[in-house]
Order: sequence, then structure tokens, then C-alpha cells
Amino acid sequence: MSSQNNPTNGFNGEDSPLIQTKNLYKSYFNEGLETKVLFDINLTINKGEFVAIMGPSGSGKSTLMHILGFLDNHTEGEYEFHGKAARTMDEDMLAKVRATRVSFVFQAFNLLPRASIYQNVMLPLIYHPIIPAEERDSRVNKAIESVDLTDRTNFLSNQLSGGQKQRVAIARALVTEPELIFADEPTGNLDSASGIQVMKVLQDLHDSGHTIILVTHEQSTAEHADRIIELFDGRITRDTEEFKTRWAVDEDKLMK
Amino acid sequence: MLGIIIGVGAVVLMTGVGKSVEGVILGQIDFMGPQTMALFPGNEGPEGGNSSMRPDFDAITFSDTEALKTLTTVKYIAPVVFVPGNAVYGREETDPRIAGSTPEYYLNQNIEVTEGRFHDQKDEEASNSVVVIGSDIAEDLFFNQSAVGKRMELANKKFTVIGVLKPVGMVFFQNVDDRIIMPLSTAVAMTGRTYADMVSMQAVDDFDIAFEDVRALLRQRHGITVPEDGSTDNDDFLVRSAAQAEEILGTVSISLTVFITLIAGISLFVGGIGIMNIMLVSVTERTREIGLRKAIGAKRKDILLQILLESVFLTLIGGCIGIVLGIGLDFLISAAVNKVLSEYQFAISIGAIFLALAMATVTGIVFGVYPAKKASELSPIEALRYE
Repeated sequence: MSSQNNPTNGFNGEDSPLIQTKNLYKSYFNEGLETKVLFDINLTINKGEFVAIMGPSGSGKSTLMHILGFLDNHTEGEYEFHGKAARTMDEDMLAKVRATRVSFVFQAFNLLPRASIYQNVMLPLIYHPIIPAEERDSRVNKAIESVDLTDRTNFLSNQLSGGQKQRVAIARALVTEPELIFADEPTGNLDSASGIQVMKVLQDLHDSGHTIILVTHEQSTAEHADRIIELFDGRITRDTEEFKTRWAVDEDKLMK
Repeated sequence: MLGIIIGVGAVVLMTGVGKSVEGVILGQIDFMGPQTMALFPGNEGPEGGNSSMRPDFDAITFSDTEALKTLTTVKYIAPVVFVPGNAVYGREETDPRIAGSTPEYYLNQNIEVTEGRFHDQKDEEASNSVVVIGSDIAEDLFFNQSAVGKRMELANKKFTVIGVLKPVGMVFFQNVDDRIIMPLSTAVAMTGRTYADMVSMQAVDDFDIAFEDVRALLRQRHGITVPEDGSTDNDDFLVRSAAQAEEILGTVSISLTVFITLIAGISLFVGGIGIMNIMLVSVTERTREIGLRKAIGAKRKDILLQILLESVFLTLIGGCIGIVLGIGLDFLISAAVNKVLSEYQFAISIGAIFLALAMATVTGIVFGVYPAKKASELSPIEALRYE
């Protein structure tokens, strides 16, 4: 994992949870009008978890993922990553976190259309502050291999099918070996067969120790995860982890 | 893009042409020698005045020219008297410029004969009817057959050709190969002149000192008072030199350069705005790409640099096209002018090419900054959401 080969991480290390939010709120302001999107989000996610954030469209699940992935800022409350508050990070620090610790798989793939698979997967390494240039090639090839696209390495990304594109996007997310992979509706633009394939790749990643946060509105997709957090109108309405712990507490009470 | 091409092309072309013209002019000055001076009667008068208002054509008398010989700073003093008339040989007739002058004339004009000899002091003393003719005259009247010893008629008087001058071509845009030179005494006898139409001479050493000496002597002899501002307004003569002509041409070439630089500057400015628009459109079109790059860890600086490099790349392409076009046009112009003026040689300025590339780069940077800054300040999530 990159946290081990990153001597200047500036984080509190492994004792703190990977992700912790305390009374997190998010509002958008448009021409002086405030639109509240997230209310009082309290969430702890530990390393190695496979979490699905579920909810209908407009529930705020994507916004929550963008905040957790350092693509967007929250309005109130605290978001701590390895115990370090996101609001204390400056622009360069945020760019560094995005480059080294988190990565994204988007619904719309967001590949560079006129670049080859190889170039697309290479892209994050260009901005990676630590991985040396001579390691790039082997890392790219390894990432492409892990999504089973080695025979198409030099294809342009606009020559690929949707499922293949999403696998390239996953390879791109893997290549820096981040601690945390965000997948935003990764099967949303895919037929069911490709969707199953992509979910299998994510499943394999989780099995090999990656922390994955999946955003989806489909129950069937969410069920791949170990833990499901449901959002509705910007509030957490269900968290299977909490349910488990609450259940455990109740069990304790029952035992007494 | 077009603006960049025009701007860079203009700079390359004009510096090339300028260099060629400079080569021609310097060649001519070299030929005459920068020490060559000429003294003319009359004065252009105060600025804006007109020489025809002061007809001092008889101002420089032969006693003046004799007096000039006492100066140690000038040598080869040769008074020149022009003789009107046609040159006739057999049925052939031509309209040359006929001048009478002393043998010193050949010395201060750096001219040579290809055939025969110059006239000498003996011809001068005896007022012999002999002439030295320019190469064009030899061609027109004698069809390149040996002209020496032939008898020709000048202004209805018989002359013997004793020499043919080596072809010179254009000197200050005037053909000098159509001249005929006879002894000064012969010309004076024909015209009854007591004054010189011009005096040709050379500075011995420093041109400026020679210039001042000649002026002081003539002012003293002509009783001219110098106005308080030290101007030449009251003079009834003019002194000119090759070096001065070079200066004047230098001034012309400087103003030409300023003009071209202005055109190039405007073109580059317009081109730069074009590049800025291209980059702004490109940034807008690629908003999602920029968002993605930021999402995977690109810093502001990375995006800024990327857009700037793209902008510089665009202007450099324009610059290279401009350089090729500029050199091509320069070559065509040279080929055309060379047919008329053989001294005009194709020339390009390597310095100008580097300057042009530098200008293209600077344009790319200056006009790329705004789009680059705009792109780098995009919020990653806003950019990714952009449709």
C-alpha cells in the first residue's frame, strides 16, 4: 500500500479510522439561495471495508462521495481522513491526497478518448509525487493485466465497449495502489453482463485488501458490499454496521 | 494563428530584404570608398526650402577648386564640368552623361580601364580631344569591338577614344556605365565655363575633419557668415559623402524596421488574441478532462503548465509556418530583384529567425496565461459535472 512508501504522509497513522465524519453538513449556494444537501452525517469507515452508499437520485450520495474523495468541500462539521481534518488541507495537499491515497471510478468512465488504454492508465502516475518514472511502465502493465485487457493495451479508449472502458477506468484507479477506491455508479452505464464483470473486479480488489466505497441506487449492486449505508434526502437512514452494533448492544442487554 | 504566421513571416522577410539591400549599399560604398566626398554649388536652403529659389549654380569657381588643393586633409581634387550633347559614331547615336574632369577624378572614383588608358596631365595641358568612355557606351556605339583609337563625335566635335572603363553597374541607383570623360580643359574650352558643376575629392584621413576644412575654406572665400545656430542655411554649397549617404540610408532602413516591427507587433497581438480564443475554447471543451486530471491528483500548477505549453506549441507551429513563408517570399523577391540588380543577393538573418521564434513563444505564454489560469482554477467536481 502506498501509505507505507509515503514517508511524508502527515497523518496520524493507523490508530485513527480511515474515514470519520462528525456532524457533517453540505449546502450549495446559488445566487444567494442555500440548498441543503447533506444533514448531520456521522460516519466511520475503516480500512479494508467494502461499503455501499445507497439511495435514490437526489439523496446526496454522490455529494457525500465527492466530499469523502476530496473533490468537494463540506460546509459544516468535521471530516477526518486518518485523523487529519480535511478543512486544514491546502490546495496542494488536497492534490497530493487525490494523487496518492484515493482514486475514482466514474459512471461516465471519464477516459481521454483519443488516448490509448496504456496512456489512460498512465495518467495518474504522471501526477504521482512519489512513484519513480522507471516504475511506471511495469505498474501500468500490471494494472491493465489485473482487469484482463492486456491484449488491448494500445487500443484507443473510444474503440472499446462500455464494460471494457469501465475496466480501463478501474485499472487507472488501481495503478497508484491507493488506500481507498471510490466507485460512483460504476455499472450505471453498462449492460447487466458487463456490470456483473465490473462488480467482480471490484469484489476481487476488496478480497485482495483494498478499501472500496461504492455509490449506487441499485439494491443488487449494493449487495456486493459488506456494509450498506442508505441515504434519503441527505440523511443517513440505515447503516448495516450500526445496525449490527446496535444489535450487539441489544443482545448484551438481553443477556443481562 | 494567421496573425502569428503574418507577424513572424513579416519579421523574417523584412530582415532578409533589409540585409540584402544593406549588402547592395555597402557594396557600393565599398566600391566608392567611404572617403569619397563631393562638393556641389547651391544649397537646399532652410528646411522646407527649395534649391531653385537660390540659383547658386556658379558658386564654386575654379579658383575655389585651386584653393581646395592647399588643404592637407583632402586629396584628388577633381572639378567636374558637365557638357550637354549627344555621342555619335557612324550611324549610332546615344545620350550619355559627358563630363570634363582632371586625371584625379579617376583616382577618387576608384575606377579602372579594361582597355586603353585614362587621360593624363599632358592631355589636360594640351586640351586634347580625347575621351574615356563607359562600358555601356562602348557596347552601344562600338558593339564591343575595340573602341580605342576610334573617332567619335560629341556635341558636334570630334574626339578620339583612348580608354574604356570597367563596368560598375549601379551606384546609388544610378547607372554610371553610360558616362564619357574628357579632359577638364577641353570641356571648359567647349562650354566657356568659369565654375564647376561639382567637385569630386577624397578625405585624406578622417572624413569629419576634411568635411569641416572644406566648409570653412569655402565660407571664408565666399564671405559667408554662419548663423548663430551653426546651421548651413547661409552656405552657397553642399558637401556630401558616401558615408553620409550610408547614414541617410541607415535612417531609412531604421524607419523601415520600426514600421515592420509595428506591423509584426500588431499581427502578433491579433494572433495572440486568436490563440487565446482557441485556448479558451479548448479549455471549455476539455473541462471534463481537466476535472478528471484534477481528480486523479493534478495540481493547479500542472494544469497551468499543460495549457501554457499547448498555447506555446500552437504559436510555435504558427511561427515555424511564418518563418518558412518569410524565407520563401524573401527568396522569390531576391530572385526577381536579382535579375534587375545583380548585386542583390538572397540573404536571411539567422538572428531574426531566433527573434521570431522567441516572439512566437512569448506570444504563446502571454496569451496562454489567461486560459491556463482559468483552467487551473476549475473545481474538480464542477469540471467533472460539466456537460
